[in-house]
Amino acid sequence: MRAQFVFGEVWVGLRRNLTMTAALVVVVAISLSLLGTGLLFVKQVDHTRSLWQSRVQISIYLCDQTPLSTQCAKNGPVTAAEKAQISHVLTALNQVVHVTYLSQQQDYQQFRQEMAGFPALIANTPPADIPASFQVRLKNAQADAAPVAAAVAGMPGVDSVVDDSAILTKFYKLLGGARDAVIVTAIILIVAAILLVANTIRLSAFNRRRETAIMRLVGASNFYVQLPFLVEGMIAGLCGWLIATGLLIGARAGLDGLQQYFPFPITLSTLDLAQVVTITMLIALVLCGTTSFLTLRRYLRV
Amino acid sequence: MIHFEGVTKTYPNQSRPALESVDLDVEKGEFVFLVGPSGSGKSTFLRLILREERPTAGRIYVAGRDLARLSTWKVPQLRRRIGCVFQDFRLLPGKSVYQNIAFALEVIGKPRRFIRKVVPEVIDLVGLEGKADRMPDELSGGEQQRVAMARAFVNRPMILLADEPTGNIDPATSIGIMKVLDRINRTGTTVVMATHDAAIVDSMRKRVIELEYGKVVRDQSRGVYGQAY
Ligand SMILES: Nc1ncnc2c1ncn2[C@@H]1O[C@H](COP(=O)(O)OP(=O)(O)OP(=O)(O)O)[C@@H](O)[C@H]1O
Ligand SMILES: [Mg+2]
Repeated sequence: MRAQFVFGEVWVGLRRNLTMTAALVVVVAISLSLLGTGLLFVKQVDHTRSLWQSRVQISIYLCDQTPLSTQCAKNGPVTAAEKAQISHVLTALNQVVHVTYLSQQQDYQQFRQEMAGFPALIANTPPADIPASFQVRLKNAQADAAPVAAAVAGMPGVDSVVDDSAILTKFYKLLGGARDAVIVTAIILIVAAILLVANTIRLSAFNRRRETAIMRLVGASNFYVQLPFLVEGMIAGLCGWLIATGLLIGARAGLDGLQQYFPFPITLSTLDLAQVVTITMLIALVLCGTTSFLTLRRYLRV
Repeated sequence: MIHFEGVTKTYPNQSRPALESVDLDVEKGEFVFLVGPSGSGKSTFLRLILREERPTAGRIYVAGRDLARLSTWKVPQLRRRIGCVFQDFRLLPGKSVYQNIAFALEVIGKPRRFIRKVVPEVIDLVGLEGKADRMPDELSGGEQQRVAMARAFVNRPMILLADEPTGNIDPATSIGIMKVLDRINRTGTTVVMATHDAAIVDSMRKRVIELEYGKVVRDQSRGVYGQAY
């Protein structure tokens, strides 16, 4: 195999076919970076989900001077006996790992900590608006939330039961929707990229029909005839991938920049990025390689 | 060297066969003219030897190999043993004389050192000394055909097929082309040449096979172009 010869032919092919190659590079770059962004999204959602999985709990807010429920409004603030009764019921449940009582002050402190990123919200929330609560940690955040909530809901002194995981589920639905939209767009673009690869290779085969006719005539093997085109497709794919990698590094920086708006860590590790970049490279190679190969089988028969 | 056994070739969607029950033998080292009116099947005959086309019926053996039983991936091996020249030269316009000839060796993976040795030799053989760096558009038709012959011969094929090699060249220049073909034939290469050029056929006095409507109507050693005159 004479590498110099093959690359010489590839270079000629790429130059003759410059506009098509450029279009191909751009489409591959865009589709890969969108797909990569989708994959980064998936990773991020996975990370935050597992982070929250260990943290989620049920908050049981107790009646105070500014109750939400009619029951509290009727019965007035929670009494010490009611508190003891609620605590007793909770600790008796075997889905419950741990019960913590937070007084109104403690609750307010925690609220200020979690919402540190939103000073306006803190300023507009008087301490009296945050009631005392029981924080319940569950064995299995997903499955156990409903029965535990049902056990205490409606008990005297209970104002409201808030299941953190229910809020998170809504949040993840939103994220998941955004992720799916990105991935669907990426897939449509990948189809466009495949068509473009096929077209570019076909045009390239047409441009070099004299060369290939002579190659076949003098007995060049199929492999030798097709290799320059295959390499051409792969190089275009890899150029697109390089640009996509640059865009993905930018996208990761963008996602990290969003960190300040979230009270929990959402940054992605370099390993995550490396994984996504490797996956997109493999996709680029397989996509361009296979499409070139299949196109060539149609247009360069012996 | 070339053996046809009841070969018939009918192209798809054609009622009349381009070649019909052709039986013939060409021995190693022979020089054969293939003559006949336009459309009589000369080019088809050559394409069958190259396995660019496959016969509808009959068997073809080239260098002892049954072409029907040659698998597709072995066809390139066959073609390395066969050189080809055409009426329209088929040179690559962007490559010099040297590069055009070297291309035929590069694409079959010959080492660079070998190429540097044999290409100048074959340039001398076809009489293009000192013109190695010319581009095809800086050469006359006769010189371009010499380049094509050098490219066909550079890998020392057993068989050289020439389809009207003098078709685009004036009679005086054609004599030079025939001298080169004769020189190639003298190295032991079998030459099969399809032609319409009566003067050349008559002057060379080689074996003549005449086709008409795809059938062999005459096969004569030391023959002439047309018997009628
Ligand atoms: N690819 C093809 N498809 C269909 N018919 C073909 C094809 N090639 C040749 N033919 C037909 O086969 C017959 C023989 O053609 P061929 O080219 O072998 O003739 P030829 O003797 O070389 O003619 P010429 O002297 O004009 O070159 C002709 O009738 C031609 O129309
Ligand atoms: Mg012909």
